[in-house]
Amino acid sequence: MTTTSLAKEKLHVINTHVHNIDGIAKVTGRATYSFDVKLPGMLYGKILRSPHPHAKIINIDASKALALHGVKAVVTGKDTLGVKQGIWRRYSELCDEQILPVEKVRYIGEPVAAVAAITEEIAEAALDLIEVEYEVLEGVYEPYEAMKKEAPEIHEGVERNINVTRHIEWGDVETGFEQADYIREDHFFCGGQAHMCMETRSAVASYTPEGKLTIYHSNQSAYYMQALMAGVLGMKEGNVRVIAQYVGGGFGGKFELDGAIFTSCILSMKLHRPVKVIYTREEDFIATKRRTPMHYWVRTGIKKDGTFCAREARVVSNGGAYTGMGATALYLTGFFHSFPYRWENYRYDGYRVYTNTLPSTSMRGFGAPQAMFCSEQQLEWIAADLGLDPIEMRRKNGHYAGYEVPGQAFIASCGLDEAFTVMKEWIAKKGKLPANRGIGFSAAGFMSGGIFNWFDTPYSFSSAVVTINQDATVELHIGATEIGQGSNTTMAIIAAETLGVKVEDIKVHSGDTDHCPADLGAWGSRQTLMTGNATKRACEDAKAQLLEFAYAKMGLNIVYDLDIKDRWVHIVARPERGMPFDELVTIALRGKDGQRIIGRGFYTPHRKGMISPAYSYMLQGVEVDIDPETGKIELLDSLTAHDCGQPINHLGLIGQLEGAFSMAAGYGYLEYMPYEDGKLMNPNLVDYKMIRATEMPETPIHDIDTYEPEGPYGAKEAGEGLTNPTAAAIGNAIFHALGVQMKECPIRPHMIVDALKEKAEKEKAGK
Amino acid sequence: MAFKCPACKKQWDVSLQVARHIFGTGDKKHREWIESQGVSYADLLVQQATNPGNASYQTVADLVEKAQDKL
Repeated sequence: MTTTSLAKEKLHVINTHVHNIDGIAKVTGRATYSFDVKLPGMLYGKILRSPHPHAKIINIDASKALALHGVKAVVTGKDTLGVKQGIWRRYSELCDEQILPVEKVRYIGEPVAAVAAITEEIAEAALDLIEVEYEVLEGVYEPYEAMKKEAPEIHEGVERNINVTRHIEWGDVETGFEQADYIREDHFFCGGQAHMCMETRSAVASYTPEGKLTIYHSNQSAYYMQALMAGVLGMKEGNVRVIAQYVGGGFGGKFELDGAIFTSCILSMKLHRPVKVIYTREEDFIATKRRTPMHYWVRTGIKKDGTFCAREARVVSNGGAYTGMGATALYLTGFFHSFPYRWENYRYDGYRVYTNTLPSTSMRGFGAPQAMFCSEQQLEWIAADLGLDPIEMRRKNGHYAGYEVPGQAFIASCGLDEAFTVMKEWIAKKGKLPANRGIGFSAAGFMSGGIFNWFDTPYSFSSAVVTINQDATVELHIGATEIGQGSNTTMAIIAAETLGVKVEDIKVHSGDTDHCPADLGAWGSRQTLMTGNATKRACEDAKAQLLEFAYAKMGLNIVYDLDIKDRWVHIVARPERGMPFDELVTIALRGKDGQRIIGRGFYTPHRKGMISPAYSYMLQGVEVDIDPETGKIELLDSLTAHDCGQPINHLGLIGQLEGAFSMAAGYGYLEYMPYEDGKLMNPNLVDYKMIRATEMPETPIHDIDTYEPEGPYGAKEAGEGLTNPTAAAIGNAIFHALGVQMKECPIRPHMIVDALKEKAEKEKAGK
Repeated sequence: MAFKCPACKKQWDVSLQVARHIFGTGDKKHREWIESQGVSYADLLVQQATNPGNASYQTVADLVEKAQDKL
């Protein structure tokens, strides 16, 4: 990994190699995930799921199940308040999902009833004894079919099953196209993708007679879970405690309520005993949510010299049975489809349509991977059509620091230009390639947290509280959720840098709503910037309080500046004059009548446009080899050129980017979710193909340091955005290797074989 | 000439922009205004989503123009 540093100040802790502070607990098996939680008297829950994609529930008879020895309770929708919930709380029409529905089911795998028993096996056996009478309704599985007049109505009163529409526009698109020398239109389809967290959805709920509900749950936002569960249970938020200390991955699939948390709570409240519900891998496939499948139509107009004139895009997405985070994904795909270029004229219309399939939602990249698969391939084909250098054409139209995406966003830092240079050099070094081998690249950008407040939280988006102990160690309480991405380590580094101590002095407390301040959690690449800012401010607050005592003790001329670095409190101009940090802490404790120093910090973005306070930029290059007979794709090499502002943890950054590349490559050519009549045909890890370690190429990273003024120490997003360019880069590599254009994602072998046949036939006809 | 949205009174220079705004907003108030003109919001939306061109937007833009003197 090469680095060019533009950091504005001399940093002592930031951008060093720091191993995850929870790494030892994890590798020694002491980290307690929800899966590991065992409470006295705990029961095991299992969920009965709908076998039908669309059906009315006529009756549920649980008497035989209840008679089974060891079964303690069976719950159905009638045991709930019947609240239709959703994460878009500001918009009641988008809160459309009743977990354990009373009237009808809308997809195969939807929860219908849940059992609690003394063992998991008994609970499983009891499911077979529950008799559910359904009236099966006609189902509809594709959005274009669902919009037809004769299509069945999935949600009452939602005409033509259109769930959400989104429109983005700036400039004068018609005039832009009139100015273009060349116009190209293409249709694409991007499929779904399973989040595939190592830890499946899981929860342990414990309701006690005094009215307190404690939930251990695998999620991306303990605060969201607390608020949403309080809403569906009719409880005060303060009486719901959510603990998510260790979480085995989220990727956008774990910040909505799921069947595990809901049924474990309902069962626990009925029995006043702890109940654990763990999803199997198959349940995780068929009954959670997925990346949103999208049909894209893209029309682009450019001048002969490569100047971009206008772009218009239209998306129809398969929303599945419920809204989830789909409304946000529908907006963001349209917004990021314009990235990372300066389109003077741009228009996007998005339509999200209900179908009787697994609900679609956010997933790492939040709609942008689909957007870039279409955008970046089409640009490559345009460059080829016009005989333009694809890198220089993109560079000429690329974002730069100081650019404003009209009415949407302000770009304060941007390393895109350098990324193009790095990519150009890498491609040039490859020289002439053998037959059936190609290099492709794709550009992208991404947000550093969302500005939107559809959740309608009254709290700051991020908050932090820091407390200095007598022994000079530091307690950092944050509401951020550590989901394996290393956010606790990131916050420890920011705290250590700000307070002037060591990382090992910082104890991070997160993922517990009883003890940590509210924070929107880990989604949309928000924690480094937002929780990072809150952490930095809390530490600055504590540090300022401490330094007041240092000034008094040292009797300094007030023009001198004091600072703390490496546990040494000192005069900035004369670093040898000072005192140890722990001595200052003791003085401050005495001076404050024994009260500990407490610093508070918070962050909510203001006046930062429509989407995000800051944007990262990246280019992904790949070299692929394709077997023209079988269509099999092999990844041989890659290069990532990435601008995440000031990296906070060098080691963590590498891990995040490698992980993003792996997930994105899987989306590009492997991870396929075929449905037949609403049923997922490959809900297991034998038939659902993910990229394996042995299939990963080398992943060198060129880190382009910029300084993002809105971020803590200049930091911004890293790790989610790199999911965006890779599928398109693979498509572009195939285009350069074989001369075929791939318009469906994931790109599967038979598509390549078919495209080559079609190409050969055309060439034959042309002769 | 400026064109006002008949539902919320926001205004733009061209009627087509008002139509785009109406579809883009898509809330109850804007849907109801379209329905009050004797056309189906859902039909227009589906037509726009599934067909090339901007026929639905143009239909609503024409209705917006006709409605201006009543605003």
